[in-house]
Amino acid sequence: MKTSRRISWIIGVAAILATVVAFPGRLPGQTSAAKSSGATSGSSTQRNVQVYRVDAGDHDLAYSFQVAIYENLIEELNKTKQFERVLRDGDRNAGNIPNLLVLKTTIEKYTPGSETRRAVTTVSGATKLTVRSQLLTSDGKIVLERTVNGEVRFFGSNLQATHNLARNIAKAIQQSTWSGSEQSSAMLGAQF
Amino acid sequence: MNRLFVRRNHRHPYFDGRALIGLCGLWFWFGLGGLAQSTASPVNASAPFSTRATHLLGLENTKSNCDGTLSLQGNELQFQQDGKPSVELEITSVRHIFLNEESKQVGGLPMTLGKAAAPYGAGRVVSLFAHKNYDILTLEYIGFDGGVHGVIFQLSKGQGDLVRNELVARGVSSSSGEDQRTKQSTAEVRRENK
Repeated sequence: MKTSRRISWIIGVAAILATVVAFPGRLPGQTSAAKSSGATSGSSTQRNVQVYRVDAGDHDLAYSFQVAIYENLIEELNKTKQFERVLRDGDRNAGNIPNLLVLKTTIEKYTPGSETRRAVTTVSGATKLTVRSQLLTSDGKIVLERTVNGEVRFFGSNLQATHNLARNIAKAIQQSTWSGSEQSSAMLGAQF
Repeated sequence: MNRLFVRRNHRHPYFDGRALIGLCGLWFWFGLGGLAQSTASPVNASAPFSTRATHLLGLENTKSNCDGTLSLQGNELQFQQDGKPSVELEITSVRHIFLNEESKQVGGLPMTLGKAAAPYGAGRVVSLFAHKNYDILTLEYIGFDGGVHGVIFQLSKGQGDLVRNELVARGVSSSSGEDQRTKQSTAEVRRENK
């Protein structure tokens, strides 16, 4: 009886050890430690961003598109969790927040499409948007500058292009090597 | 010949009466039309107004692309998703209204799948006719913290004008929206001519 108990105890300990060796990252303590260390190492997580309204320039872009880009951008930036706070244009709290970056979006090219044309022909009627996204510091220095595209080619409404565009902008910011003010000059004018 | 001539020129006692009745009928008909027009144009700012709409994006705690009822009551704009509590917005916080039209395919995902599955490209032919024009109503409003928010609703054609008129009657600016509509329509025309 005693021997079988001991054997089962040994088997239990061995199973736990095997689990620890096989899945080192799954332990709750380690996970939280990794998360906190990641948060402190990347200075961008300590940053805040204020999203400005879209500048349509001379393009005949429907206002619904401008609003959709702006709203989708705020949603997608929140989803990336790269910034501590994502503020809107005109937010009164912006003046009190340190390390605030400003995201400016300017329309560079807009090709209006048609959902019916897409559905009928498949190859034509795409809605295409090209914007220049600039991430600036509070003193006006450009930290990141990218030209990003968003389009809807086959299925979906024309406004879907704004969602794709916002997702691409958020992804571009997330994937950039920019990580703080130290690298701001190095990244100046970077484009893709 | 003479007889016909005489008949045509003959003043029947009932002829004048019939003409008079006809004229009265016409006058009454057009009068009614005029009355209907004059009662439709002024908007009663205090009266509640509601219409069916689709929330495309922008409202907090509301799913995108969901159907519901858009209503204006007093100083509030409400959107109530079917079977859920309504989301309210103060009309005084709305800064601008923009209205444009957009043609969309009807039927949603089931229709799209059906069209894709249809043999001999029949789906394309269906697509040619299965579209409908909608009014896209865009509102720009200021939140509690001063931040700019945008909301987009999709309404049946003609309903967007009604909502805009109601909002304008309640004191919202729509001047930029007029420009937008003109710009949009010219862009559409240019695209059509290409």
